[in-house]
Amino acid sequence: MINLLAQSGFPDAMHGVTLAHYLVVSALLFVIGLIGFITRRNLIIMFLCTELMFQAAGLALIAFGRYHLNFTGQTFVIFILTVAAAEAAMALALVVLLFRRKESLNAEEWNELKG
Amino acid sequence: MGSIIHPAIFFAVLVLGSLGVCLALPRRKASPQLFGALIAGLAGGLLLIAMGIAGRDHLPNIYFYIFSLIGLGSALRVITHPRPVYAALYFIMTVLASAGLFLILSAEFMAFALIIVYAGAILITYLFVIMLASQAPEEGEIEALATYDTQAREPIAATVVGFLLLAVLTTMMFRGVPQLPLPGPVAPNELLAQMPRKVESVLRNNRNPDTGQPYLKADGTIQITEVAPSPAHPAEPLFITINNPGEEPVVLAQDKWPEELTVKNVEALGFDLLRNHPGSIEIAGVILLMAMLGAVVLSRKQVQLDEDAKANQARKLAQDTLGGVNPGLGRSPLESTHAGGTR
Repeated sequence: MINLLAQSGFPDAMHGVTLAHYLVVSALLFVIGLIGFITRRNLIIMFLCTELMFQAAGLALIAFGRYHLNFTGQTFVIFILTVAAAEAAMALALVVLLFRRKESLNAEEWNELKG
Repeated sequence: MGSIIHPAIFFAVLVLGSLGVCLALPRRKASPQLFGALIAGLAGGLLLIAMGIAGRDHLPNIYFYIFSLIGLGSALRVITHPRPVYAALYFIMTVLASAGLFLILSAEFMAFALIIVYAGAILITYLFVIMLASQAPEEGEIEALATYDTQAREPIAATVVGFLLLAVLTTMMFRGVPQLPLPGPVAPNELLAQMPRKVESVLRNNRNPDTGQPYLKADGTIQITEVAPSPAHPAEPLFITINNPGEEPVVLAQDKWPEELTVKNVEALGFDLLRNHPGSIEIAGVILLMAMLGAVVLSRKQVQLDEDAKANQARKLAQDTLGGVNPGLGRSPLESTHAGGTR
């Protein structure tokens, strides 16, 4: 099954054009996350969009790791997962605090928080 | 850039895609969301097809197209769906699709770790918070969508900025990727020298097809010799010598190795993680500890409602208890609704 799915057997090199395909998908995912972060006003969805951007970064790292035939990319994705988990825990705790105070998830309610 | 995609097609597709995403974002009035999503999907498909036509000899396999269309489609739905719960569920779809892409890139461990950590843990936390932090609907009413969920903020400006960034990013990528050096030959089984017990047990449990006997008998021993990689032996950096009692020591030729005698993705990743990045693991541990402490401290904090919310609650409560029990008696209503947050 793995052999059926895989682009090619692991030690075989991957061509640059194939790498470009993965990078384009990763860039698209990142930009979709970015647009979502700017346009949505719900705090929780804004954080979901940052997770989308994390996904995109992870995909690019793994594609580059596969191209260079080493494992550093995959190792870095482990650290991305760690940071994403920590970020989700803190951010969601903050969101719950903010919600308790204003009873609303609207990010624009908090526009008095300036510098 | 021309070797990967024709620039004119590329920028046309980007304009089409930004139009589609812009239309798909939620608006105040009835917005052509479905139409926008279709245009964006068409643009994405055209982009992939144009890239495939330009670089016809090195196409990714068919699963790449399936997974990336699922992933991008549900990512679009994450940012356009007005209800947060559905957005979170679509995000799980994106996670599953990118796990599929990781599998294609032979990162099996990361694919499943992604599903377990993201879809299993992080997204469940999100769903919990979404359910905790939503207002209960009035009695006898279907839950209404909040206005801040149904109206996108600055959809046109955001899409233009986003797609400008995309154009710059991908242009740089298409210029840079053909200049990347091709990786040198690698020895995928080099790490076996660090795992003598694995080699031993594989050799004991597999039978040599020539003789029908196990490669290594019960009281035999093995010896692993590493050789410096050379152009003559790029793929064979180590020799396995089998000493069976009563026989001459034999060097096992690499084409006679049993099929199981390879370094798996998990093993190689573990070696890379622990041998090359031991400090980063410590830092990751500290980050997780800090996050845990921070979450505990934050959730123990007592929260005061601010003035507007207080007034709102008081109004609601007065309506509820109108003509009923005297609202002035007993615990203050503000305290009782937020008992969970006080210590």
